[in-house]
Amino acid sequence: MFDLLPHILNGLTLGLLFALIALGFMLIVGLMEQINLAHGSLFALGAYFAMQLMGPRPPFPADLAQSWLALPLGWRYAATLILAPAAVGVVGIAIEFCMRRTYGKDPLYGLLLTFGAAMVIEEMIRLTWGTRDYVLQVPQAVNGGFIFGDLIWSTYRFYAAGIAVAVIGLVWLLIEKTSFGATVKAGAHDSEIVRALGINLTRLRLLVFVFGTMLAAIAGIIVAPIWGIRPHMGVDAVIPAFLVIVLGGVGSFWGAVVAGLLVGLAVGLSGAYASEWSLLSMYVLLVAVVTFRARGLWGKKSVLEA
Amino acid sequence: MIPTPQSNSARLITPTMLVLWLVLATVPLWIGRAGLYPYLGIEILIWSLYALAFNLVLGTAGLPSFGHGAYFGIGAYAFGLCQFNVVANLWVCLAAAFAVAGLAGALVALFISHRRGIYYAFMTIAFGQIFWTLAIKSHKVTGGEDGLLKIARLPADFGFASFDLAGNVAFYYFVLMVFGIAVIALWRLVHSPYGRVIAAIKQSEIRAAHLGYNVWLYKASIFALSAAVSGFAGGLFAMAQLAAFPDVMSLHQSGYVVMMTLVGGGLVSFWGPVIGVFLFLIARDVIGAMTNAWMLYFGLLFIAVVLFRPEGVAGAVMAAWQNRSLNSMRKQGGTALRLLVGGGRWR
Repeated sequence: MFDLLPHILNGLTLGLLFALIALGFMLIVGLMEQINLAHGSLFALGAYFAMQLMGPRPPFPADLAQSWLALPLGWRYAATLILAPAAVGVVGIAIEFCMRRTYGKDPLYGLLLTFGAAMVIEEMIRLTWGTRDYVLQVPQAVNGGFIFGDLIWSTYRFYAAGIAVAVIGLVWLLIEKTSFGATVKAGAHDSEIVRALGINLTRLRLLVFVFGTMLAAIAGIIVAPIWGIRPHMGVDAVIPAFLVIVLGGVGSFWGAVVAGLLVGLAVGLSGAYASEWSLLSMYVLLVAVVTFRARGLWGKKSVLEA
Repeated sequence: MIPTPQSNSARLITPTMLVLWLVLATVPLWIGRAGLYPYLGIEILIWSLYALAFNLVLGTAGLPSFGHGAYFGIGAYAFGLCQFNVVANLWVCLAAAFAVAGLAGALVALFISHRRGIYYAFMTIAFGQIFWTLAIKSHKVTGGEDGLLKIARLPADFGFASFDLAGNVAFYYFVLMVFGIAVIALWRLVHSPYGRVIAAIKQSEIRAAHLGYNVWLYKASIFALSAAVSGFAGGLFAMAQLAAFPDVMSLHQSGYVVMMTLVGGGLVSFWGPVIGVFLFLIARDVIGAMTNAWMLYFGLLFIAVVLFRPEGVAGAVMAAWQNRSLNSMRKQGGTALRLLVGGGRWR
């Protein structure tokens, strides 16, 4: 049992990251009933923007770049955590403006549209940054490792898991405990009534979508030092995100979090015994659950099935 | 339903097929002069067959399958492995590609046929990924990422005569013959009583079930059949490439066949997938020769199609042809798309 402990811990931290990756996707699926297949590309875009900001040649005018580079690494990192998602949010606005045409129609329209958007973004990433791998610098404080119980642990993994817990908590507070969240949920439930109450639903949807894309970017920045930055990272993220949502059940917040943890545990534990096959474990887990539970763990009825 | 005149749907061979075959039969004569190469013709025919098979599930049955590359790939591997381990006979190996992919499809159908919408879509992705991972990781059987190499183009033995298919032109005509037969078979299938029940299930699962049809069995069988024909096309593809690679099974490549089918107009027309394959592969070669970023432009084109012409090229052409207002066609495309995820609902 004690031998397993590191793998379980590893799996749990990985699971929190999966939950973080799925968070923005879940928000858009749950509150707008739209599947955003560009989620992974936006995730990658966040990582690339952050890499550019943290790198030796930040995308600023010369004098501003100089004073930016003079800042301590920690400050720059903190600013990047805000600036890069904001930049990705702008891309999100563009996608939402296209997606508007599909509201009220079948969700498949949105899915196909964002599939096209994902292709375009990934290709643009290839054109701008090439196909090589990049590394995202992180501050000393969260880098390196420590020794605990005769084992070396990576500090960054725990930092990333902590950020994941914090972001998940904040998003939960926002959608469950604020009037903004209540309005958004009402808008998903019955858009006509919400409009009749004088609420600007168009703006509300834009906000939700942009918020979802910014969460994708944050996840990208947090995960980048672990996975590395390369064009394919978008696909590597969107599939687990989609899987976590389907496993947890569409429309269930805690379903997604639990599903993320389960997927992390499955990948972590199977990685301990058969690392070759560890990626397969999440699909087997999904098939096992969805074969018996039609809507995943705690899914609600939605337009997306029927 | 597919808006062709009633008389055509009862025919074994339609005028469209004849014209298409005649045009295709002349391709090796001029394709070199058009700046392309005969291999492209082979690729287009094989992918057309694959897309037509895929459209049985997407267009005819309205089931969103996003992991179809798996069956195409399984067919390719089955062809190669049969050639190496069982018997190096063209017909046996093609039958093996058909059968093995069909079995894999039937196995998956067992798990997914009682699902709808997003859960159906994701289960197909999950199984696609499982098969893809198996193909990459089973080095001893499939050669892993390097692929299964040295697959030969076996001679076509008709009993009275045997043809060597090693050359691209000979192989092109062989594929064209197979394609012709497959198109007739698929055309008859779509317009058979069985095909009509499938189309009814696409419109409303509940209604079809209440009329006494075993919806589950129909959904499972069309999926397995589509997988089998996709595998058959995969077997031809293994011959064309002289190898079988796992990348056709990846999610990206499975996405391409969805894109081809939709851009061409598979939701409203039998020929939609073929048009889509032509556009996609020719765009790949022509735009790809000019810029590395051809996927960027094709992605933008795809976005434009989804936003402005959901019925695809075939839909737009038919609208102009039949002098209908584009608006009504758009509605038809919209209905087809709506039915796709809205599977069995009356609205």
